[in-house]
Amino acid sequence: MSRFSELLDDFFYRPDEDVSGLQDFAAGSDGVLPAAPEEVPEEYLAFRLEGECYAVPIRGVREISKVPPLTEIPRAEPQLLGVMNLRGELLPVYDVKMRLRLAERAPLVAGPDAPAPPRSARILVLRTETGPAGVWVDGVVGVVKLKPSMLEAPPPGMRVGDRDCVVGMGRRGPMLYILLDAEQALAP
Amino acid sequence: MSPGSKALAEFVAEATEILDALARDLLVLDERRGYEADPDLVNGIFRAAHSLKGLSGLFGQERISRLAHGTEDLLDRLRLGKLLLDGAVLDALIEALDAFQALLGEAARGTESESLSARVEAMAARMASMGAPTEVAADDPLDRLELEAQVRSVFTEYEEHRLRENVRRGVSLWRVRAAFDLSDFDKGLAELNARLKPLGEVISTLPSAQPGGAHGIAFDLIFGAQVDRVSLETGLKGTPAELSALTVRPAAAAATSALLQAAQPAATIRASGGAKSETRPGDAATHDGDAGSAQDAAAGGLAAPDVPVRVTDAAPEASRKGATPSRGSRSSAIRGTSADAKDSPVAGHSTSPKGGGKKKGARATPAAMPPEAQPPLLSHVPEDTEPGLLEWPTSDADVPANAGGSPSPTPVPGPSSVPVVAYLQGAAKASPKGLSVAPAAPAGAPVSAPAALTADTSLRSLTQTVRVDIGRLDGLINMVGELLLIKANLQRLAESARQDGAVALSKLFGQELARETRGLERKLEALQEGLLEARMVPVGQVFDKLARLVRRITREAGKEIELAISGGEVELDKLIVEELSDPLMHLIRNAIDHGVESPDARLAAGKPRRAVVGLRAEQKGNHVVIEVSDDGSGIDEVRVREVAITRGLITFAQAQEMSRRELLNLIFQPGFSTARSVSELSGRGVGLDVVKNNLGNLSGIIDVWSERGKGTAFHLTLPVTLAIIRALLVGVSGRTYAVPLNSVLEIISVQPKDIRTVERREVLDLRGQTLPFVRLSRMFALPERPVSRHFVVVVGLAQERLGIAVDELHGQQDIVTKPLGGRLQSVRGISGATDLGNRRTVLVLDVAALLEEGMAVERRRA
Repeated sequence: MSRFSELLDDFFYRPDEDVSGLQDFAAGSDGVLPAAPEEVPEEYLAFRLEGECYAVPIRGVREISKVPPLTEIPRAEPQLLGVMNLRGELLPVYDVKMRLRLAERAPLVAGPDAPAPPRSARILVLRTETGPAGVWVDGVVGVVKLKPSMLEAPPPGMRVGDRDCVVGMGRRGPMLYILLDAEQALAP
Repeated sequence: MSPGSKALAEFVAEATEILDALARDLLVLDERRGYEADPDLVNGIFRAAHSLKGLSGLFGQERISRLAHGTEDLLDRLRLGKLLLDGAVLDALIEALDAFQALLGEAARGTESESLSARVEAMAARMASMGAPTEVAADDPLDRLELEAQVRSVFTEYEEHRLRENVRRGVSLWRVRAAFDLSDFDKGLAELNARLKPLGEVISTLPSAQPGGAHGIAFDLIFGAQVDRVSLETGLKGTPAELSALTVRPAAAAATSALLQAAQPAATIRASGGAKSETRPGDAATHDGDAGSAQDAAAGGLAAPDVPVRVTDAAPEASRKGATPSRGSRSSAIRGTSADAKDSPVAGHSTSPKGGGKKKGARATPAAMPPEAQPPLLSHVPEDTEPGLLEWPTSDADVPANAGGSPSPTPVPGPSSVPVVAYLQGAAKASPKGLSVAPAAPAGAPVSAPAALTADTSLRSLTQTVRVDIGRLDGLINMVGELLLIKANLQRLAESARQDGAVALSKLFGQELARETRGLERKLEALQEGLLEARMVPVGQVFDKLARLVRRITREAGKEIELAISGGEVELDKLIVEELSDPLMHLIRNAIDHGVESPDARLAAGKPRRAVVGLRAEQKGNHVVIEVSDDGSGIDEVRVREVAITRGLITFAQAQEMSRRELLNLIFQPGFSTARSVSELSGRGVGLDVVKNNLGNLSGIIDVWSERGKGTAFHLTLPVTLAIIRALLVGVSGRTYAVPLNSVLEIISVQPKDIRTVERREVLDLRGQTLPFVRLSRMFALPERPVSRHFVVVVGLAQERLGIAVDELHGQQDIVTKPLGGRLQSVRGISGATDLGNRRTVLVLDVAALLEEGMAVERRRA
């Protein structure tokens, strides 16, 4: 981002900026109230994968867990990292980096030869149509509220693989969130 | 679950239970086809039909209700002796049972098919027209009984019928008068009834004409005693009962009066009895007996006279001894449901009342009677409780529940209290150990069976409920309570440890902690055991259903078969029992259709006409072995070989090398059975691959034994439960896997040099037999580690064997397997996962899949 655009950014108000005072001021000045419909922001959980920031709707996230010892499933598809035991429940843990072309192959995280997981790594337990599934993430960023007006269509060049795992982009301030369709990303 | 479907599930569960009881009783009736029916049995079936009617009416199941009404009506006529139980009636009842089951299946699925509705209508109509009313015998034995008219007038039709039967058979009749205090007369009466039951039949319970005092109530029990006076008096010692005999005039004097008082001077009766000495050869003996009882009466201070005069009714006796068929026309009206084989000793001694014979008869009869079967008693005494069972509401409370159906065909109060009794009896019979399974409908769809299956093709229960004895649940709750205590102790210890901080913990503390942990372990084990026990049901549940099936198939196949069942009390996990029903049905069907020869062929082969099909269960350690055997012609292995070659299952060269055992095992191959062999009834492969599959799912092993001309036997070895299994923990390339121990046959240690290759495939030589062998690390594409020796776990499932090489053995452990549900269903070779306590998940190998895979490789290469 160039210095010029930063200046511009400061000058123009962004769609998510709280400008109600300004609008009141404007309404008071010329008596014309702009018909801006009330936007309901939706909450997303943002997380990091290989340095990029991704987000999924928080409704689809059941919980966030630290990485327990994972047990690899022999002869399973490479994106299935293994299974974990979450309070007695057996959950599959998937890797989505391969599908997103962020990595050539799945990291070795399960089995006796796996190194200890990075401290920031987490497993997101997502609700999917075929039951709960864990997704390995490099770190959790936090919860962001995105209004529909902050969402954009994915750039045409971003289509990955044969499926559209990326449903759009969310822009809030300087941050850009890649919105992930969990169902698609976890589809076999 | 919506309220509607919950109600439906409840209905299906209860109806299934009633039908099971109905089926059991019908089966007994059917086995004694040709003999006279036991009145208690007919009554039981009648009550079951009645409860079913009430129940289905309550739940708006009109078709079931209509059919039940027809059945109940028919049974009522049987019960009251208006109809003779012949083959046609019995067949109609059995057909109705099948229809009930089909109806219930449809009800559980929420469907209603036209064909079945039509069948119900036709059946109800046929049952209504069944059996012409038999003419009433001119000579009513009841007229000879000296009983007040007003007492007679309050009898229900059924009581009157029973009384008539008792008079006709010459049973000594007594009036047992007992006065109780109003506060606890129900208990007293129940106790009296319990005492009377083994001694004979309580025909009716009436409020006494004599008032029982200001705070008391008195009852008159009309009682048909199977024992003599002395034993009756000893039996009733301690109860407020007073005995008085009801006199029956001999047949010749019958017309004189029906209105004589019961309290007749003893002398008169004895005199009239003596006058008929030609029909009473044991006159002297009788007099002695009477004298003795008179003395007893005097000693006991009894007010009423006490002459047990037996009827010497020559005419009916003659007809009884005469040709059986003629009975139908003349005396069936009065006999009907009443007498059966077991009554004959009593009947016999009435003609010759010798002391010895009498005693024998008296003893034999109560023994043969099921203790709970006291129909007239139950129909009238709602206060009575079945021993060992929950209390049931009084008849008043039941009436609304059952009145919802169509009107009761018999006068009240008889039937009004009946359904509960039948229900409880059903429960009691179904649960010899206080545990019974009342299958309940899974919300709408039938379990795992395809919806297309009708009740005819699957013996699976429609429901999935396990009924647990409340005592058992209490035990479990107690255990949880004790666990909570241990938890509190541990909490206290943890708290004290925290407060002590970094200070070294005392030795005492460690000891205390260890003690608590041990206690926790013990309690948890007990809890686990208790919960597993609660899941257990007797395998006899399936056997009963199979017995019904055998009856039907036998008739269809035109063969004579005796089904020998044993070991029905062996208990298995409910899940396994359910899964077992279909494989067993296939095996039994095979045995009857293909194993057993026709009666003529059997005679020609020098065997008895009647074939024996055996169904045995036996507990062997952690396993249950179920054997299905027949003494038929055995499996023709030459024919098996031909079929296998024509079907392309094996090549000719392979067939040359195969042993007889291997050839026999070919019958389990999918595709071995074909439509052709089914229709020809020649091959024995019908559904055997299904059997194998089902057993594989249960970690069961099937073995077949067969000898030409001698018969065939299938041995099914099953684990007792699937919920918690014992597993062998093995290590491969640093990973740990669990192998269900029930499929492990043996473990051998193998040096790398012992491994041979046949066509580049590794095999082992196990005691002269070639054992297919796979390395788990290669199969799972794990990094192989060099080892000096392999442990080979020999697994067997169904009739196949495979050696699986692993690096290490870690020992055995009880594990709770969690299925790899949801997203992981497609994973091959793994059946589930378990937790070993160190938070690491261990995968459980799917032995069936691994075997299949190993064999597939073998077959491809062959």
